[in-house]
Amino acid sequence: MSAPTAPAAPTTPPAPEAPTTATASAPHLVKWLTRLHRPALTVWTVLVLVLAAALLWLWGPLTEGSARAWEHYATCTADPCHYNQYAILLYKDVYQYTTLAVLVVPFLVAAWAGGSLIGREMESGTARLAWTQGISPTRWLAAKLAVPTVLVTVGTGALVLLHHAMWSAGDGRIDTAKPWYSFETFYAGGTVPVALALAGLAAGALIGLVQGRSLAALGGGLGVTGLLWFGVHMALPHLWPTTTRVTSLQDGVKGSGIGVRTGVLTASGARVGDQGCGRGDSPECRAAFDRVDAVGYYTEYHPRSHFWPLQLMASGLLLVVTALLVLAAFRVLHRRTTASAPARAEAAV
Amino acid sequence: MVEYRIDRHSGVATYVQIVQQTKQALRLGHLEPGDRLPTAREVVEATAINPNTVLKAYRELEREGLVEARRGLGTFVRRSLGAAPADSPLRGELDAWAERARTSGLDRDDVAALFTAVLETHFAARPAKKSQVDKTQAEKIQGDRS
Amino acid sequence: MTETALEATALGKRFGRKGGWALRDCAFRLPAGRVCAVVGPNGAGKSTLLALAAGLLAPTEGTVTVLGTHPGQARPRVGFVAQDKPLYHQLSIAEMLRVGADLNPGRWDAATAERIVAGGDLDPRKRIRALSGGQRTRVALALALGKRPELLLLDEPMADLDPLARHELMGVLMAQTAEYGTTIVMSSHVVAELEDSCDHLLLVGDGRIRLSGELDELLAAHTRVSVPAETDLAPHTVVESRGTGRQVSALIRPAGPLPGDWRTTAPSLEELVLSHLRSPEAPALTPAARTEELPA
Repeated sequence: MSAPTAPAAPTTPPAPEAPTTATASAPHLVKWLTRLHRPALTVWTVLVLVLAAALLWLWGPLTEGSARAWEHYATCTADPCHYNQYAILLYKDVYQYTTLAVLVVPFLVAAWAGGSLIGREMESGTARLAWTQGISPTRWLAAKLAVPTVLVTVGTGALVLLHHAMWSAGDGRIDTAKPWYSFETFYAGGTVPVALALAGLAAGALIGLVQGRSLAALGGGLGVTGLLWFGVHMALPHLWPTTTRVTSLQDGVKGSGIGVRTGVLTASGARVGDQGCGRGDSPECRAAFDRVDAVGYYTEYHPRSHFWPLQLMASGLLLVVTALLVLAAFRVLHRRTTASAPARAEAAV
Repeated sequence: MVEYRIDRHSGVATYVQIVQQTKQALRLGHLEPGDRLPTAREVVEATAINPNTVLKAYRELEREGLVEARRGLGTFVRRSLGAAPADSPLRGELDAWAERARTSGLDRDDVAALFTAVLETHFAARPAKKSQVDKTQAEKIQGDRS
Repeated sequence: MTETALEATALGKRFGRKGGWALRDCAFRLPAGRVCAVVGPNGAGKSTLLALAAGLLAPTEGTVTVLGTHPGQARPRVGFVAQDKPLYHQLSIAEMLRVGADLNPGRWDAATAERIVAGGDLDPRKRIRALSGGQRTRVALALALGKRPELLLLDEPMADLDPLARHELMGVLMAQTAEYGTTIVMSSHVVAELEDSCDHLLLVGDGRIRLSGELDELLAAHTRVSVPAETDLAPHTVVESRGTGRQVSALIRPAGPLPGDWRTTAPSLEELVLSHLRSPEAPALTPAARTEELPA
């Protein structure tokens, strides 16, 4: 259909002389992300460095000071004994604050992932901007998850390792030091915060994608992280086979660690409840124990040697949840943006 | 180089305006044989009209034998139009006449009406005809890339 | 046969399972190199159509083919400017353009992007959040053109611009088409601002395509007639007919030669658009519909 005057020019305009399939490479994406989230990166770096410095301070001088004060106190013969109470209190306070700070990290990550990393981008439409620049939604999400994953793993990992080393240094030397199985010490000194932070990252991202609103995703990320921690805490005693310790009725219940169940052992070897007595000395209890033919107490618990197995199992569980959340996020994104229409279109092929 | 001015409210089709203004430039000697017309890109960048409109106007001029498209180089003037370049004696006479009209108290509209009336007695009216559209991609590209 | 920039078949999009259809049964074809106006009232489905073409939304039914492929595959070759012109507000203009370079390696045309920004007398160190709406539009266009798209999708691109910037940026867009053959699709609810720049029309009304095709051909296919009230307009297709006393003024699609005593005028683009929007029941005129209507 060309007019007689039409010159024999090419019928299609050549594309700009550039590769048409090029997508941004990993270094480019890292540059883009760090440019975009520079404030968050700065805050994270400062947070990790300050906390690490506090933990190092605690590990070295404060542990030393407190231990020496306790040593002095134990060998003190003077009355009144002038031991360095200040060193003991300082250790205790700094220990509490730093431990709390380590435990808050997963929540910070979740709030940021939901609110800033994904939620704000969905809300303001800049996610769409990125998708129509040279990065597909899938790669966009992959980059948005991968870079923080590395930073969060390295940062949180360093903090919990420091915490663990710091706590171990004071173990047995500081009378007021928390036992390994105390809630905050157990969690702050293991791998669970790392896994929980990653789960928070994934949860925040997923909610951000689904909700598309910054504030809702921030709250949702916090909520899901809290729920996950609660769930893991509930499941924790059952994540590794317990150790059973049997003690006589006279000695009562003994054993320190994460207790799971205690009760009385009968002569036939059966384990029954403690008859509502615990370590009862009352006549009623003695009568009750006699009735079931009790011969001793049993305690199912996790001794200190179970610390790492429990940590790793709990972390593994959280990582499975993380993987599911990430999978869900990619599926949601794919279905909303790139998927082909179902039914009609596919049936025709 | 000719610069086109598009009047959106004149009621005259845009491509016709380009044709007319080119012819005007040819008549006044602003464009001479061998001169290059602005590329479609240059025209549309300045006027924000569709490139096809420019190409359509240039094709019209080409059909009338006034310009020719040289591939890869642009569109060039082949011949000039009329015998009234800007500095011709006729223009001088008209200039003097207009000056006399003004000093005798005629305003712009009076002069325009008078001139149009004289024009119509000497030249048969030629209504602007809408020519058929034959747009093809091939033509569209021609002449606008250098 | 010219290359196709954009093609839709039975395209539909519904938001949510129970939501209404934002777009339904859309079928059209846009050849490459055209400047296409997507016109229609607010909420007609223009933005949805552009988002589907940009691969930002998955269709509920039907398909849309972009530059001969799936919208997701075509994305690196397509530029898109959303209606609200989203940009990273925390960055400076220069940083924003570097984001474009980072995300489009091997394609990015820094000179073009910087030229467009410079056209607005903008200091590249200025933060995006400090810019006016029109200035943001300029930066958004610079980003979209910087990636050297073969197809440029613009959702209400001119809404925030002052007349001077509008003219200048429209000129930049036209130059892009003239030089690279870039296909441009731009939506607007102001018909007049597109009339001189576009050569193709897609009229969207109530989630459906009402008119689609070359602007000249669509205009040529319609005639405004003024006839006595009792005149039978059959067999011509009547788009809109309005009585003015004993006379009736109607926009029709002639099915053949018209009687000599009918007063006819050529409709303007605006008349064409308004008549179709005022008469939702008038049959659509799209390439598909045309072959049925005129089996010539």
